[in-house]
Order: sequence, then C-alpha cells, then structure tokens
Amino acid sequence: MSKISPKNIAEAIYKATEGKSGVVLAEILHRGAQMIQNKRMIGKSDEILKTLQNIQDIETGTVRAKVTTAKKISHEERNKIEHEVKEKYKGKSVVSEFFEKEELLGGMRVEVGDEVLDTSYKSALMKLKDFLIQAK
Amino acid sequence: MSNHIVESLRKEIEDFKIETKTEKVGKVLELFDGIAKVSGLSDIKSSEMVTFPNGETGVVLNLEEDAVGVIILGDFSKIKEGDEVNATGKILEIQVSDSILGRVVNAIGAPIDGKGAIKAGKTYPIEKVAPGVVTRQSVSEPVATGIKAIDAIIPIGRGQRELIIGDRQTGKTALAIDAILNQKGQNMICIYVSIGQKDSKLRKLAARLDSGGAMDYTVIVSAGASEAAAMSYIAPYSGVAIAEYFMDQGKDVLIIYDDLSKHAVAYREISLLLRRPPGREAYPGDVFYLHSRLLERACRRNQKYGGGSITALPIIETQAGDISAYIPTNVISITDGQIFLETDLFYKGIRPAVNVGSSVSRVGSSAQIKAMKKVAGTLKLDLAQFRELEAFSQFGSDLDDATKRQLERGKRSVEVLKQLQYAPVKTEHQVVTFYALTKGFMDDVPVEKIKEFEAGLIDYSERNAKVFYKDIKETKMWTDKGEEQLKKVITDFKMSFSK
Repeated sequence: MSKISPKNIAEAIYKATEGKSGVVLAEILHRGAQMIQNKRMIGKSDEILKTLQNIQDIETGTVRAKVTTAKKISHEERNKIEHEVKEKYKGKSVVSEFFEKEELLGGMRVEVGDEVLDTSYKSALMKLKDFLIQAK
Repeated sequence: MSNHIVESLRKEIEDFKIETKTEKVGKVLELFDGIAKVSGLSDIKSSEMVTFPNGETGVVLNLEEDAVGVIILGDFSKIKEGDEVNATGKILEIQVSDSILGRVVNAIGAPIDGKGAIKAGKTYPIEKVAPGVVTRQSVSEPVATGIKAIDAIIPIGRGQRELIIGDRQTGKTALAIDAILNQKGQNMICIYVSIGQKDSKLRKLAARLDSGGAMDYTVIVSAGASEAAAMSYIAPYSGVAIAEYFMDQGKDVLIIYDDLSKHAVAYREISLLLRRPPGREAYPGDVFYLHSRLLERACRRNQKYGGGSITALPIIETQAGDISAYIPTNVISITDGQIFLETDLFYKGIRPAVNVGSSVSRVGSSAQIKAMKKVAGTLKLDLAQFRELEAFSQFGSDLDDATKRQLERGKRSVEVLKQLQYAPVKTEHQVVTFYALTKGFMDDVPVEKIKEFEAGLIDYSERNAKVFYKDIKETKMWTDKGEEQLKKVITDFKMSFSK
C-alpha cells in the first residue's frame, strides 16, 4: 500500500462526515482527530484542514478570492469585484478577503486559488523594468 | 545629448504594452540544494520555466499531485520559503545570435567573459526532439581533426558522434582542443561545453583557443564546478541548442561535451534530491535517455532540409580504465565509435595516447578523403599485427626476416603517430607522411630520426611536389601524376636526408 497523504485523510474525513450533524458529527470528528494522531500526521494538520476546505468549496461551488489594493475600496467596488469573480469562475457563492497594501501603488491584485490577476502599478513597473533591460 | 537620451527612453516606454492576464502562481514549500518544492502551479508543463521574485529562473522537472519539483538555475540563496513563483508558459529556452561566436557563456546563455551583453537574436528551446529520419543524410564528409592517429585510423565524419574515453590525465581535452584549433578555415563552427570543470582550466583553455585564433569560430558554454548541479545538467542541451541555430543556417558545427560523466553525476544529484528512485550506481532509470536524446541531436541534414551538420565529440572519464562501468557503456552504445586513450601509452610517451586496437569509428573510411583512404588503408591492420608480434617477440629473439620487418615498420608507425599537443597536422601533410610510411620509404630511417625525417619531408615536398598538393587541396583526389611526383620527391629527399 502506498503512503497515506494528507489529501487521503481529508477525503476520508469528508466522506465520513457527509450528511451527519450534532453528536454524531462531533463523535466522527473526534475519531478523525484520533486517526490523525495515530497516523503521526499532526504536523500535517494545516494541510489536511486546507484540503478539507477545498473539498467543501468544490462541493458547494464556493470561490475564495483574496483581493489586495493600495487604498481602501468602497462597498460598491467590493461587490463589483465579487460579482466579476463569481462570473469568471462560475461559482455559486464568493468568499472574499480584502487587504490593503500601500506598496502596490495603485490598481489591485486578485488571487483565486493559484491564479493571480495583477493590475497593480507595482507589477506594471516591474514589467517595464524587465522590458527596458531586455531592450538594452 | 540628455534630450536625446530622454527622447529614446520615451519612445521605448511608448512601445511598451502591458498585457494584463491571469497568471499561474505557486508558493515555495521547501528549498534544498538548488531544488524547490512549489505548491500551486496547476496545469504547468514539464520543462516549463518559472521565475522567482529575485529574478532567478527555474525549470519544472517533477510534476506531483499537489506540488512540483523545480531546479533553480542560478543563485538560490536568496529564495525563501513562501516566496511566490510565477509560471511563464514557456519551455526553457536560450537566446542565440551570430554575435555569440567568440564568447564564453553560462548554461543559460548569459555572457561570463566580461565582454558585455550579447546582442539578442532568436530564442531556441533547450530541449528539442532530434531531427527525424527523412531530414537526415549519411555521413560522408570528413572532419579534419589534425590528429594523425584519428584522421588516418579512426576518421570522424561531419554529423558523426565519436566518443573520447579515457582515465584522468590522458589527454582527452587536449585532443578536443586540437580538433578545434584545426578547424580554422575549414568552414566549421565549434562549441565547447565545459561541464563541472575547474574555472582555472576553462580560463587556460579559452586563452589557448584565443591565441590560436580559434575563438573567432568558437563558443564556450560553461557550467563550472562551483555552480549548481542544475546548470551542469542543462549546459550540454544549451550547447546543442546553439549548435542547432548555426546548423539551421546550413553550417557545419563541431560540439564537444567535456565531460558527460560529470553531466551524469549532476543529473544523479538532482534526481536523488527530487527523490526519484535510484538504480545502478545510484543513477536514475532515465540516465540512458539523458545522453541518447542529447547525442541524437547530432546529425547531418540533407540539402532538401537546408544541409548543415552537428558533429558531437562527447568525453567520458573512466576510473582505472574501467570502460564497463554504467555511464561509459551507455555512451559507447549511443555513439558511432570511440577513441580510447590509455594511461600506459601516455606514460610510455606515445602521445596522443590513442589505443588503436580498442578505438573504432563505425562510420569508417566513408569519412575520409580518397587520398587518405589510399595511404592509410592498411595502417590499422599493420599496427594491430605489430602489437601482437611485439608481445610475442618478447619471449624469444629468433625471429624470421618478415616478422622483423613487420616489427620495424610497426615501431616507425607508432613514432609517426606521435604528435605534440596544440600542433595539428594538415591533411595533405598527413597524406605525404603516411605514403612515405606505408610504401616503406621510412623503413631504413632510424626510429629516433623519424620525427626529423617527417618534418623535413613535409617541408621539402611542399616546395617540390606542387602538382600533388594542388590535387589534394583542390580536388581531394589521388592522381597517378601526383603520385609519381610525390614518389620522386620522397626519393630525392631521402637521398639528401641520409647524407
């Protein structure tokens, strides 16, 4: 049998808890935690939790976005961004986190999974720098 | 002046268009010895280039379920865990242009000789499938190496792959350098790929090529001993990508890989760090493919597909003459022959220390000009017989005349094949020497005077056998008239020499 991966554990826990609630769910989660300890995978618990969340997101059609801007953006702008993300990734719902980072100078950076849309001025300047070095 | 600078910069900035598109980004999970394990980067291809925040480039080698294994080409000391890694969508490539000639570049084509930037030209992928059967042509044109033992006995043709194999300090690199030096005026581009060699050795070698006027048609690709294993791993592929650039222009290219044993060691290091299962001698399972796909890119293309050729001279270093080790046997079976250098011969003063018996060229005499074929045809057999008789004659002194004659001829053959380093001999001079040897003109010259005789004969014949030289140089043919003149010239020279 091949090595057990955090993904295997997360899938097993998800399947075991599917449709369960209350005391039964709590009992299953307790056993799941015990299994993680028995398999000596406590160190990988972060990865297991992340995978569990990914599985849950796929099942429920949730898209998680991380938006970083140079300045605080308005509520309407936030809604607009969330709407665009929902359309692009064809999700049922969007869970977004908004951050401010002055070093972006302007524009914004949207991260969904391992995809990044970077329209920040900082990134544009970096690209211009590379272009000028290459042109030389 | 400053207005002009501002104006040109303004124009460049105007030309710059920002493309905004979603990019695949990963994060560094682990980093060790030039290898990074990166999460994310879904849909990435094998051998795809990735960039790190400090500008370093990496190449994806391992594609796993949740992460990818990346080899870092360059300084990995500034990369941290959690750093962002961007996919580029491009397979690893190298910038090539005609201005790369005469330069020393690293494994990714960046200049390291301090002579400034190389003008950008085309980009060539480092990994490419070798030319197919329909584009190829059989090897028939010789590569004149200027080394008598090779040109006469183990001829190399344009498009051939000939292995140079031997222990350390047997003159493997010297042989390759002589071959490069002799390509002056031969319409050949040379590429020397230095893998895991000392920088001092490279410096000496570049200076030697420069002083010999060989850098005008040579490119040196170097992955030094102090660089990461990843650089040694890609250096030969970069070298052959440069060679392909010139071959695509219909030119003939000679590429030397010095050496593939270190290349295999670098690949073993990377594979073990990437946790690929080790096989024989701890090399990974695909170490044969590592070299076969590289050497298959050497070829001679037919005229319909633009002509041009890549001749490869890979070098392998053996341990205590063991050619049955894993890497030597692999490369022997891939190449079209091998030049075997021996420590014993080297210390006996037979230099180049080519073991004629164990060396072979599978392309054979089709890679020789007619004149050379005519004069050197029997040389290999004569030498093989000499070696056998020499061993046999040590048991007793009672030998018949024919055997004695053969032994004497053999001694002179060995003497003729000796050659100083960095002193390649022109093909026409080799033909004169071998003619004098095989026709018995040297039989009564004392062995210790053979070198003197040879030098004198070349000098004398050049002045007095003009018809013969014209035939060889222009038509590469052997004519009866030319032979008559040569015979007369040798006889005349011999008379004056014995006086």
